[in-house]
Amino acid sequence: MIQRKCAVLRRTVVLALPVFLSAFASVEAAPKTELVAALQGEPADGYDPLMGWGQYGHPLFQSTLLARDEDLVAGPDLAKSWSLSADRLTWTVVIRADAKFSDGSPLTAEDVAFTFNKAATVGGIADLTVLENAELVASDTIKFHLKHPRITFLENFITLGIVPAKSYGGDYGRHPVGSGPYRMVQWDEGQQLIVEANPYYYGPKPAFRRVTFLFTGEDASFAAAQAGRLDIVTVPPSLAGKAPTGMRRIVVDSVDNRGLMFPTVPNTGRKNAVGMPIGNDVTADPAIRHAINVAIDRAALVAGALDGFGRPAYGPADGLPWSNPEARMADADPERAKEILAEAGWKDPGHKGVLEKNGRQARFQILYFASDSVRQALALMVSEKLKPLGIAAEPVGKSLDDVRRLMNSEAVVFGYGSHNPLEVYSLYDGTLAGNGTYNAGYYVNPTVDEHFAAAQNAPSVEASLPQWRLAEWDGNSGFGMKGDAAWAWMVNLKHVYFANKCLDVGKTQVEPHGHGWPITAGILHWRWICP
Amino acid sequence: MKNRLSPVREIDAKAPTCRFWLRFAASRLLRVVLVLTLVSILAFALVSMAPLDPVDAYLGPNIFHISPEQRDLVVARWGLDQPPLMRYVTWVGHVFTGDLGVSPIFNQPVATVIATRFSASLALMTIAWTASGALGFCLGLVAGTWRRSWAAKIIRVYAYMLAAAPTFWIAIILLIVFGVVLGWTPICCAAPIGLTPDQISLGQRLSHIILPATALTFLGIAQITLYTCQETAEFMNSDVAIFARAQGASRWDILRRHAIRHAALPAITVQFAGIGELFGGSILAETVFTYPGLGQAAVAAGIRGDEPLLLGITLFSAAIVSIGNSIADALYHVIDPRITLAS
Repeated sequence: MIQRKCAVLRRTVVLALPVFLSAFASVEAAPKTELVAALQGEPADGYDPLMGWGQYGHPLFQSTLLARDEDLVAGPDLAKSWSLSADRLTWTVVIRADAKFSDGSPLTAEDVAFTFNKAATVGGIADLTVLENAELVASDTIKFHLKHPRITFLENFITLGIVPAKSYGGDYGRHPVGSGPYRMVQWDEGQQLIVEANPYYYGPKPAFRRVTFLFTGEDASFAAAQAGRLDIVTVPPSLAGKAPTGMRRIVVDSVDNRGLMFPTVPNTGRKNAVGMPIGNDVTADPAIRHAINVAIDRAALVAGALDGFGRPAYGPADGLPWSNPEARMADADPERAKEILAEAGWKDPGHKGVLEKNGRQARFQILYFASDSVRQALALMVSEKLKPLGIAAEPVGKSLDDVRRLMNSEAVVFGYGSHNPLEVYSLYDGTLAGNGTYNAGYYVNPTVDEHFAAAQNAPSVEASLPQWRLAEWDGNSGFGMKGDAAWAWMVNLKHVYFANKCLDVGKTQVEPHGHGWPITAGILHWRWICP
Repeated sequence: MKNRLSPVREIDAKAPTCRFWLRFAASRLLRVVLVLTLVSILAFALVSMAPLDPVDAYLGPNIFHISPEQRDLVVARWGLDQPPLMRYVTWVGHVFTGDLGVSPIFNQPVATVIATRFSASLALMTIAWTASGALGFCLGLVAGTWRRSWAAKIIRVYAYMLAAAPTFWIAIILLIVFGVVLGWTPICCAAPIGLTPDQISLGQRLSHIILPATALTFLGIAQITLYTCQETAEFMNSDVAIFARAQGASRWDILRRHAIRHAALPAITVQFAGIGELFGGSILAETVFTYPGLGQAAVAAGIRGDEPLLLGITLFSAAIVSIGNSIADALYHVIDPRITLAS
């Protein structure tokens, strides 16, 4: 009887399985023109560039004045030419004449001017506060007048998708009309986005006619990949061990970094906006910060905390054109760290295992977001590494909000990483010291600020790069390891994807913070390589 | 003929009149407004005291490529540059004109967010509410009428277990068993991957809703079963029932003719009061099954500090619950005219 029941049950399973799986079966005879991807990155507020859509990865529906290639070099997209005036206050941009929106209407300079002027007022993630106004000069020419010189304004040409002046309205984010390679078929919020090739796109036709982006969580996406339902999927390092059958692993370098931020000023009794102390007498000593930078073993952190999916980090933008490799010092060298501490007068007279200087013990906390296991592992490993030196750094897990309250007085594991040098400025510029999350360590170095100002005043992006590098280390001073060592950068993550063996995603960019959507930056070069 | 009808007419005279219903509706309306006002004050106070910076949560790691000036613009768009009291007064003013405000995280009017999300939740909640009510009531009647039977014992144990188990736990167990191990049902979402609405069959929709609906149904069944069982058992022990039994009526007869009506009162109370729990349960079930309903929107609003949306959803669910309770009260008068008399 029981056996019979089991047989019936088994038959039901066998019969039912294909029925439910067939709903997902997208694997057909080649060459495929449809893709199913699970890359996270759903914008809850819609696909509106003015609200911040398209900061990373490909905006799909819109196109931008300039675009970065796989080496992060900005080149023409909608813009044919662009130039900065001698007083660095006016950009003149000439756009191509053949661009059309996905509803068939032409894209003109008027749309460009509208997009920038509108974005300056709506309070989204696109930062146009430096823009005085965008002026329509001719049907294909726009002048952007700036309030003061700022070379990072160019970033907006790369990230701000152009929207149609005539039809832009409140529900644009849910019904985007743009000049990008794809147009929206369907967006089931919280579930999936279906796009198809835009017939009016001026660029080369994408190889995939229809793409479905799933917005399922990590676990559900991984399960779907295991079941063979996905062509490309984002994978957390802990699951990145072995690719499912038919898929291969793609490991992408990133500047998605994790570093230790130090309060760089002593505690003089000042309080921050929420009444918590500012400054830390221990981490305010450059010798402590240098010793930590030299002592930690970044390769071991990558192996231990990231399962090997990462690379050592020495600065906030390793490998990007505005970072300075000259600022690096050799790490994993506890002996050198001890010398640095001894030279600065840190001693352990009572042999208590904790150094002292002027009666103050080398004690502080390393705060990390309790919900983030990678940051926890980093905090614990660094703390262990510092113990033999006589530095008692106690790792403490806190909520995001508690960290924000305490971040001005204790060391914190933070993570950033951007294609925009403005991030470096936000981390270290003296004028931003203690302004909310900006420069939370109250780091101020007038020389660094001068280099930042020179970079922002540069006549071109190329000319600004040396100044950004000098801010990190100019031979005498800088925020980098050899200079003030305001942070101890630890690791850059590597982003792992599983992709169908037949899907070639081409050369990938060094990705920013945020694992998933940025890989779509190269979506126009994706190819199906099986016959 | 006249004689036979007269007792009926007597009851008729005692039944609620039109004037009674008007007064009833007016007093209920007043009560709902009062409840909503209090709920909105409480909800607003809680949201504005939460130690969360919604703008930083919104910006995330993007914060470092925008300037502090731009951040101020975002703060202004969220309306957070005003002190809390001012924000509340403005919000109440808008609510009276029928405007619930704009949700910053969805960049959409709150009313639209609620309408689209609730339409997804509505199917889920209706199925769960009806199924749990009907099933629970029947099980309770059976368990109460034939108290000593093995069926009653099984039903009671089962109900206690369900009453003790949290919804999200039941949901996860269902997901693991049916979605992952057996592979019978989809793991997530309200629709299959890569299909537009016109390509989705009714069967596919059902296969996606069945697990969350089952999880929610389990939540409602236990309570109503236990209440109905208790009420039925008490009635079965009453003088009326014992007298009927003595006259030769079977338990089934008594159940059919009398006990159902008796058990209906507490069942209705529990069922309508359970709407509130259903809201809470749907938040958990939707989160577990990635079902994009109102519950998910509520979670997003809470985590990311979307003040207008959270207030809108709170107000909306409070309104539904209050209206549900008023309907239950009205039904009492219909089912048992003695209640009208007493009041």
